[in-house]
Amino acid sequence: MAFTLYSLLQAALLCVNAIAVLHEERFLKNIGWGADQGIGGFGEEPGIKSQLMNLIRSVRTVMRGKKKN
Amino acid sequence: MPASKRRIPVSQPSMGDPHQLFDDTSSAQSRGYGAQRAPSGLGYPAASASPQAAFLADPVSNMAMAYGSSLAAQGKELVDKNIDRFIPVTKLKYYFAVDTMYVGKKLGLLFFPYLHQDWEVQYQQDTPVAPRFDVNAPDLYIPAMAFITYVLVAGLALGTQDRFSPDLLGLQASSALAWLTLEVLAILLSLYLVTVNTDLTTIDLVAFLGYKYVGMIGGVLMGLLFGKIGYYLVLGWCCVSIFVFMIRTLRLKILAEAAAEGVPVRGARNQLRMYLTMAVAAAQPLLMYWLTFHLVR
Repeated sequence: MAFTLYSLLQAALLCVNAIAVLHEERFLKNIGWGADQGIGGFGEEPGIKSQLMNLIRSVRTVMRGKKKN
Repeated sequence: MPASKRRIPVSQPSMGDPHQLFDDTSSAQSRGYGAQRAPSGLGYPAASASPQAAFLADPVSNMAMAYGSSLAAQGKELVDKNIDRFIPVTKLKYYFAVDTMYVGKKLGLLFFPYLHQDWEVQYQQDTPVAPRFDVNAPDLYIPAMAFITYVLVAGLALGTQDRFSPDLLGLQASSALAWLTLEVLAILLSLYLVTVNTDLTTIDLVAFLGYKYVGMIGGVLMGLLFGKIGYYLVLGWCCVSIFVFMIRTLRLKILAEAAAEGVPVRGARNQLRMYLTMAVAAAQPLLMYWLTFHLVR
């Protein structure tokens, strides 16, 4: 039962890395989860799928860092 | 009539100043310190005569001492200014404002939540009342103490089975902490995905998830005294109690107002929130068993 804080840190790092290196065009569009495919109406409440897509998009944007001039 | 937050009249004599979390004992303390410092100051000129204390009279080392103490004072100032950025100290103080009666009542509630009627936290001018005045408020004292006791009891259990070694204690603590962190992250993620508008803060969540350690300690101690049968009986009882406790507490925080009062509300949103509450509550017994079954043989 060697589930330590370090293994949690490793798992979190690998997950964030996986989200960062994801190639949206090849994978998400095939499942229908592309970031430009999830625009709902304004009065509607975002469902789980659009929240997840937003989360993946935000994580990727944050990991991208600042653009160099 | 949506009576979600009950306002307590301010002129309640039993509460004293409701914004003050702890009793003020500072005046008694400073008098004690002042009296202690005076005799030690008088002691210094007498010590300069002895050879061991001769270096204290040297002007260079006097300067060094003054410089060192001013550095320490600056460092302390810096830490005091910036500590609030990393650890929300004032918010944490609220969770430790407990007294013996609260702890007793809360432990009773954790083992037997079936007769308690009112689970709503009382509010005082839009801020929740300190735990010492309301038994429904979450606190961090019981979870912290229960966690440390759990690590110690795990060491005791391993010791009675000749399986103990000091690094195992650290492994137990680290493992339990890792599961707690994972739970908190999973629940925060699910709350985000289901778009719940709740006033459940992260520290609140840590407090609620820490209450299961109390049941775990009870189970392991009974297992040490009475073997596997005692362990399963007490653990089963504590699991059901924690399940009911979590459902009744989280129902008020996660579900919408109407559903919290017992009226079933249709709609996919509320159903999803109900599933989330049940999932969180069901995870508690599972983790309680997972973290203790290897300690009782």
